[in-house]
Amino acid sequence: MVSSNDNKDDSINARLKLWYGLLVIVIVVFIIQLFNIEVIHYQKYKNKALSYQLEAYNIPATRGLIEAKEGNSIVPIVLNQELYTLYADPPLIKNLNKTASRVTSVIGGNVNNYKSLMSIKGTQYVILAHKITASQNSKILSYKMPGIGSQGQDYRAYPDGSLAAQVLGFVNNSGVGEYGLEQAMNKQLSGTPGRLKAITDANGVPLAASKGNIDIPPKPGDNVVTTLNLSMQAQMEKILASEYKKTKSHQLSAIIMNPYNGQVLAMANYPTYNPNNYQNVSNQKLFQNAAVDYAIEPGSTMKTLTTPTAINVGAITPSESFYDPAHWVIDGFNIHDISIDGGAREQNIASILSLSLNTGATWMLMQMSNKGHTQITAKGIDTWHNYMVNHFRLGQPTGIEQGYQASGYVPPPDMADPSINLTYANTAFGQGVTMTAIQQLAAFNSVIDGGIYFKPTLVSELISPSGKIVVNKPKILEKNVVAPSVGKDMIPLLQNVVKAYLHGGSTFMNFPANYIVGGKTGTAQVAAPTGGYYKNIFNGTYIGFVGGDQPQYTIIVYNIKPNVAGYAGTNASQPVFADLAHMLINEGYVIPRT
Amino acid sequence: MTYSSSLAMNRSRFIARNQNAVSFKAQAKSLGPVSNTLTLIVLACLLGMFYLSQVTRTNAFGYQINNLQQTQANLKNQESNLQVESARLQSINRIDNSSVAKSMVAVSPSGAAQN
Repeated sequence: MVSSNDNKDDSINARLKLWYGLLVIVIVVFIIQLFNIEVIHYQKYKNKALSYQLEAYNIPATRGLIEAKEGNSIVPIVLNQELYTLYADPPLIKNLNKTASRVTSVIGGNVNNYKSLMSIKGTQYVILAHKITASQNSKILSYKMPGIGSQGQDYRAYPDGSLAAQVLGFVNNSGVGEYGLEQAMNKQLSGTPGRLKAITDANGVPLAASKGNIDIPPKPGDNVVTTLNLSMQAQMEKILASEYKKTKSHQLSAIIMNPYNGQVLAMANYPTYNPNNYQNVSNQKLFQNAAVDYAIEPGSTMKTLTTPTAINVGAITPSESFYDPAHWVIDGFNIHDISIDGGAREQNIASILSLSLNTGATWMLMQMSNKGHTQITAKGIDTWHNYMVNHFRLGQPTGIEQGYQASGYVPPPDMADPSINLTYANTAFGQGVTMTAIQQLAAFNSVIDGGIYFKPTLVSELISPSGKIVVNKPKILEKNVVAPSVGKDMIPLLQNVVKAYLHGGSTFMNFPANYIVGGKTGTAQVAAPTGGYYKNIFNGTYIGFVGGDQPQYTIIVYNIKPNVAGYAGTNASQPVFADLAHMLINEGYVIPRT
Repeated sequence: MTYSSSLAMNRSRFIARNQNAVSFKAQAKSLGPVSNTLTLIVLACLLGMFYLSQVTRTNAFGYQINNLQQTQANLKNQESNLQVESARLQSINRIDNSSVAKSMVAVSPSGAAQN
């Protein structure tokens, strides 16, 4: 007989088995699902999880500073500064009047402007101000105004404003140097960005215990110490600004160099700009350093290269005389002197320079062709071309550390050209050949220093973040440009030019007796885009030196289309040279004659 | 057949003929499989907790490092700002336009004039 207890037990067993079976099924489903997730789709879910947890950042490296000499110390002229962009989230702003007036009280500006910006509908991000300082930022944030926030960003700071602006360049919003030293030395200044790759918490804070975290710290950029002498630079810029206004030029450029090592001590152009506010500059030409990237026909200052070439190849001697017919007919064209030079008569090398005789420069090319004769031949053209291109390195960038450089132009010695003689006669007095101020001054230096062409440089040393100093040693690009004696011959010839102008009434060319000053003017016709030259538009140039026992500094001035009466070289560029030479003497930069 | 009688029958299957049904074999003093499993689970849990405590502790250092790095970055920013301010105050333009500079008088060049 089956008892009711037995039936009850059977029913319990059956239910237990049923639940047991269900449990097993659920567990099996779970196991299958887990297998599916953790084994079959392991990679997919791992990637998904990592996309939430794994953060990878490039940590920007601190950009190196740019420094310069001031007296015996080195001071920073380009630094880094974190500035802030102030923004509003209009829908969140509660008290418009109070918020706007508080913003105005801290950063200035028009309260109504802020009110209208804060009232813009349909957006959650309106920029109220750029580049507010850290103290302004913290003051605004301390008010805890709803709907007002800020974002920090690193900027370059140029504490001296426009000083040496075109030499320095600027750094764009992407952190890349543009123009000037910032562009040319971008690699050294930038450093190496760091990298952080780590599993982070919800706030983005890296979890230190995670495996495979990558934390490579950024390597800051090197500091660049320029060769610029800040005081000299500042005074040069003052002189250029003043002379620019007087001569009403299109552009005025000047450079002061040490001829014995190629270092640029001052380099400036006017007009200029303030790199702190480069975004506000509408004329992009202002960014260009015309002294290195604007090539012109230099005019008669070229004779400071023609003369030493002719002496060096033995075509002439420094004391030689010749009969100047006052004009030459070359390829059917007349090359003549100006009437005040006195017409046909006996002239010498000194008067070629002091009177700036184009016939004299042409005669020197003739002597390079065939000494004692008055024809231009292939020999003379090849010799002069060789000196221009290979000795004086014209027609190619100098390699100075600047963003953009012009190459200039030296006409090829193409003897098939029917007017090649005329072309080369023109180059002897600085027409038909173009160069930048830095190219011409570097070439002139190689004469004055006794025949060594130093690569012009703006970098004195690089200082690594660890403090290691790498000195930028003077780099010799050409030796034996001319014989050392030729440089010595040129010094009195150029001093004579200065004296001649002084005697001619240019009282500003009067310098103290215990200093030597020499130079040469240049007035060049400006080529018209339609061919030929403008009749009444000129560029004025001046190249020279100042020193005591020997030339200590060389100076070049390029004055583009000045609006002055008479010769541009004499009346627009020579006064700038005189001002610069007086400045160097008066400020004690020049060691007087012993 | 009741549940107890079925158990009795099952047990009798293992008793050989002429053998006492009750034996008093000395028990070895070892943990059973359940205890072993439980012990292992407890140990694994303890180990897991220890691991978690260490990971949490290490991650706490991460927060500390992060805070210190933040402080360092802020201090560096302050240093940069002060450097810029210092450079601005010492800039040539500022000195040039100062009242001291304006009250200075230019000196004549030294040496005799050249004729």
